[in-house]
Amino acid sequence: MLAFVLIAIVKVLVVFTAMLLIVAYMTLMERKVLGHMQVRFGPNRTGPFGLLQPIADGIKLFFKEDIIVPHANRLIYILAPSVMVITALVSFAVIPFGDSVTILGHKVDMVVADVNVGLLYLMAISSLGVYGLVMGGWASNNKYSLLGAIRSSAQMISYELSLGLSIIGVLMITGSLSTVKIVGAQSQVWFVVYQPLGFLIFLISAVAECSRTPFDLTECENELVAGYQTEYSSMKFALYYLAEYAHILVISSLAVTLFFGGWQGPFLPPLVWFLIKVFIFIFFFIWIRATFPRFRYDQLMKFGWKVLFPLSLLNIMITGIVMSVIG
Amino acid sequence: MMITDYLPIFIFLVVAVGFALVTIFLSSIIGKRKITPQKMIPYECGMDPIGQARKPFSVKFYIIAMLFIIFDIEAVFLYPWAVIFKELKIFGLVEMAIFIAILLVGFVYVWKKGALEWE
Amino acid sequence: MNLVIPEINWSAIGPELTLSITAMVLLLLSVVASPTARRAIPYLSLLGIAFALLLCISLWGKSAYAFNRMVVLDNYALFFKIIFLITTALTVLMSIRYLKEQGYEHGEYYVLILFAAVGMMFMASAADLIIVFLGLETFSLAIYVLAGFFRAQPKSIESSLKYFLLGAFSTGFLLYGIALIYGATGTTNLKGIYEFVSKAPALTDPLLLIGMGLLIVGFGFKVASVPFHMWTPDVYEGAPTSITAFMSVGPKAAGFAAFLRVFLYALSPLQTDWIWILWVLAVLTMTLGNVVAIAQKNIKRMLAYSSIAHAGYILVAMVAADELGTASVLYYMLAYAFMNLGAFGVIILFGRKGEENVNISDYSGMAAKYPLLAAVMAIFMFSLAGIPPTAGFVGKFYIFSAAVKAGYIGLAIIGVLNSALSVYFYLRITVMMYMRSPEKEFAKLEPSPAMVIALIIAVFGTLQIGITPSHYLNLAKQSILALM
Repeated sequence: MLAFVLIAIVKVLVVFTAMLLIVAYMTLMERKVLGHMQVRFGPNRTGPFGLLQPIADGIKLFFKEDIIVPHANRLIYILAPSVMVITALVSFAVIPFGDSVTILGHKVDMVVADVNVGLLYLMAISSLGVYGLVMGGWASNNKYSLLGAIRSSAQMISYELSLGLSIIGVLMITGSLSTVKIVGAQSQVWFVVYQPLGFLIFLISAVAECSRTPFDLTECENELVAGYQTEYSSMKFALYYLAEYAHILVISSLAVTLFFGGWQGPFLPPLVWFLIKVFIFIFFFIWIRATFPRFRYDQLMKFGWKVLFPLSLLNIMITGIVMSVIG
Repeated sequence: MMITDYLPIFIFLVVAVGFALVTIFLSSIIGKRKITPQKMIPYECGMDPIGQARKPFSVKFYIIAMLFIIFDIEAVFLYPWAVIFKELKIFGLVEMAIFIAILLVGFVYVWKKGALEWE
Repeated sequence: MNLVIPEINWSAIGPELTLSITAMVLLLLSVVASPTARRAIPYLSLLGIAFALLLCISLWGKSAYAFNRMVVLDNYALFFKIIFLITTALTVLMSIRYLKEQGYEHGEYYVLILFAAVGMMFMASAADLIIVFLGLETFSLAIYVLAGFFRAQPKSIESSLKYFLLGAFSTGFLLYGIALIYGATGTTNLKGIYEFVSKAPALTDPLLLIGMGLLIVGFGFKVASVPFHMWTPDVYEGAPTSITAFMSVGPKAAGFAAFLRVFLYALSPLQTDWIWILWVLAVLTMTLGNVVAIAQKNIKRMLAYSSIAHAGYILVAMVAADELGTASVLYYMLAYAFMNLGAFGVIILFGRKGEENVNISDYSGMAAKYPLLAAVMAIFMFSLAGIPPTAGFVGKFYIFSAAVKAGYIGLAIIGVLNSALSVYFYLRITVMMYMRSPEKEFAKLEPSPAMVIALIIAVFGTLQIGITPSHYLNLAKQSILALM
């Protein structure tokens, strides 16, 4: 029991630190990739290739003035970014990032927690992030914040629906909600082969869930300044950003776990395979940001409800019929 | 065994909460404070704000929220069904098709009534 | 993992299924079909009701449990289902012209009425407290919306909101009662509760008694018994008249259907504990309903108080709780459906947009201009007052004789006195119609064929049940065997 707790603590600390590091360097990666796509260099002054840039940014944000506007609802205003960042980080707990290994005679699973309702847990926790957003937007008592918060919460709950429905095909094939079992079931064929439509719906909904371009209505600068985070500054602002990138990391890991065989792959160690696949997804997120213009809000809602939602139901029915026919 | 499965998640949660609180606390003591009246008004691109932001907003959003609840319950209902789908076989498929069809009636109604239109 | 798929017996819920499917198809039609095709919606809903009625008649005499003993099929349920179907059909017939006149010709109206009927039918066939609750919610939600269907009229909205707030509150009581009973007995199944209660020594568990009390509150609200009647007059007055008609019969019958099944079957071993509560409720309900009805100037409010009083009479029959008492509840409910719906039908016909004619004084001199309509109204008023040879008289006769037979002579006397009191305000309408001169010009009445049919059915029902009562009482007696 003691060994189990110790292993758990060590795993949590390692995963947590790794996540923070990856998130920090995702910002650099985004700026670099975007820069090169727009024929610029991106940050290149702080350290070699700008590698120290995220650390410099972090330190800078710590020393920024922490403004709490007097018209805000103080408690909720402070709580909101924490809610968002906590839910985004904690939802990673059920993502398996490697095969189990034996260290000093203890079998260690390369997942923080292998619970039997893993996927349900992930969907439940990550959907709680909307609260942080609404709380922040409302507590700021600023018109831009409120509008941004309402808009983006409506967007997120709309796309959460098709996100939740798109993975049901995978569940039907594996018959389990455990993420470890889902990865195990893909040792022969990746589920993207069985679930092409499901994957497509998942991908689109995932981009919308993370409020990334072309679905970044949350913070369309020309209309809403910065959406729900208009009034935030210093580290609270940084926490919102952290949460956003952590969310991208979680969603990318989820896509890899559900559709691309998780950590499995030939020759290279599992952890490396996992990271390669995740970073391909992160690159993809940045790539579409550089490529697409923003949706209009009515198009966004229409697309979510009138196209993605019926399609995801169709996907479930097709999967069911095919599985019944094949047996 | 069931409860201990969740112990790592609990530890993770404690670490994350600790991280968030420490960050907010540190930044509030490290960052310098220089309060000016202009900083303390709601940010509206330099305009003087008129009234509060606690205003009623479009009823459309409420409709979306209600629709979300209805169809999210459907999704939640689909999860356990999907897990035991292989055992239910064709029976489960037919039952779920009926269930989805009933909800689709509501969906078509909502669609045709224009609740999903944004002008 | 071993999976047991519960047995599925579609025929046990056949009428409910029929109505649900009809309602869903009509809901789609109401948005997809062309405006001319939408006019067929009321007639299609009648078709569905007729089909469900046929199904009920063909199922008569069968008895079965279905869906893990959640739902029961027996004559008792079928008798009530037939009452609901008749109520729904008459309401639809009376609504067609009324909605058109008022400018609210929407298909959703009929869809909601059908869904309300489905909820009521589930309440009648519930073999589990969960299904009682589900049925109650299904019809309540539909009726909350229907009460506010004339959404440009503040009174209609007020009625809807009042009904919703108080209804939600009372549903909370019912649910809490169910939870406490579940806590005390470990089951929500009526049969399970019966077995538990009959084994346990009396009066041990306060949890069970409190739960029972809360159930009485919940059901008492739906059947509008004093002191849970406060909503009735305002809601009845503000709602569209056709919905008032529906509301005054359907939910009341559904409430009593579940009330009887839960108390006379599942909780029957505790009879000594609840019977005195119902005794008090019955006396209060009858007396308050009748006394306050005298003072009313608006006919819809008057009928609201009269419907409270009628709930009191039915409670008297419930207190008697023997074979005749229970059968007379069913008989009275059937009679009440015809006479009350008929009375509201006349009110709908007599009013028009902008000139509702809902004051009692509006009826003065009506007989001179519309002798036939006045005669029809007089029949319903006689029946509501309990004057032979109408159904209302026989129903009251059965109820009071059941009370006497069961030894509640005091209760029967109070009931008869109340009934005498009620003659005053029912006959006042008749007197107005026949013996006063008109206060104003009457506009020309153009009854729609549907309304004529509805009134003919209501008059025929009121008289037929009153003239050959033994046939219907026998049917009622056949029905209650399941409870005994």
